[in-house]
Amino acid sequence: MSLAADRTGAARRPAVVAEPAVAIGATAYVGLVTRVIAFAVDAAVIQFVAIAVAGTFALILSVVSVPDELDPVIVAVGGAAYLLWLVGYFVIFWSATGQTPGNRLLQIRVCRAGDGATPSAGAALTRFAALILAALPLFLGFVPILLDDRRRGAHDMLAGTVVVAAPQRTDQ
Amino acid sequence: MVARGPVARIEGAVYTVGSIGAAVTKPVVRRVHSTALATLDVVLESRLAGDLVERVAASPLAVRALSGALEGPLVEAVARDLVRYRVAERLLSEGLVEQATARVLEGPELERVVETALESPAVERLMESAIESRLFDQAVVHLLESDDLWLLVEEIARSPAVTAAITRQSAGFADQVAGGVRVRSSRADAWVEQRARRLLRRRPAPPPAPEPP
Repeated sequence: MSLAADRTGAARRPAVVAEPAVAIGATAYVGLVTRVIAFAVDAAVIQFVAIAVAGTFALILSVVSVPDELDPVIVAVGGAAYLLWLVGYFVIFWSATGQTPGNRLLQIRVCRAGDGATPSAGAALTRFAALILAALPLFLGFVPILLDDRRRGAHDMLAGTVVVAAPQRTDQ
Repeated sequence: MVARGPVARIEGAVYTVGSIGAAVTKPVVRRVHSTALATLDVVLESRLAGDLVERVAASPLAVRALSGALEGPLVEAVARDLVRYRVAERLLSEGLVEQATARVLEGPELERVVETALESPAVERLMESAIESRLFDQAVVHLLESDDLWLLVEEIARSPAVTAAITRQSAGFADQVAGGVRVRSSRADAWVEQRARRLLRRRPAPPPAPEPP
């Protein structure tokens, strides 16, 4: 079983399939509201961890005396770390299982449009960058989700991905 | 020397004869006595004696005799003598009661008796009466006021089985909430999409495919 061929021309590679690919007639593509909720959960996780780590460092720095000249350096390092954390969170989860924690909670999955496989790290990074770009013009990049038959946003089209429903197996 | 009268002479003669007679008959009597005892021993050890005793014991005469004895004042006399001769203390001091108790506790009879008692309707009625009685209510009140009960409750609440059950319940509840959110968000997806397509005068969305099982 496979999804309809994606026209982005993304190179195919053998990949670990987290969930079996389904035929187009049976694929449940996920809409905007569900994806927003999943993203909100992910944002909460990201911010919680970032605040916890930043708070820890702030506590340490409040005790350890650091020259004032190093403050910009500390801020820059902190900013870079946050950016790395933010990008790494999405890229790693999307490329590993196709599901961030927020996706898992809402039982949705990001997969390649062509064969339903998990996106590669490059595709995941492309998708994240496209996500940022889609949000820039007042989130207009997400409007195609409402209009496309496969509910793809601009970032999905650029990265060659779709978001499908992935109910958890209950074979325990 | 004073001369003895005729009475004294007769008494002396009788005494002398008696002494001689006793000296002669004593060994004979002892011999007869031991012979009689030996004969009795032989008789008692014989099979005939055993058969005789068994027949007498099995006979209606023995039953009547026993019933007559129990009916009469014998029972009270035995009870008085048991007390008078401190039979119970003597049994206790020799450990016979402990031995008897151990034998009863270790034997299968007690188990059979208890099983029979537990299955009997009388015990069931007794239990019901006990539960409905005021004594039971007082026992419950007393138990609720005791600290040991709450220590026990605390111990149970801390047990791994209870905490695992609470964790499972919480996980189940979280799953339930998440499931509800998924269903509602799915409906919201379709609603928002429909409105957007209508607003932009686009054709309606294809019917959503059923979610995979």
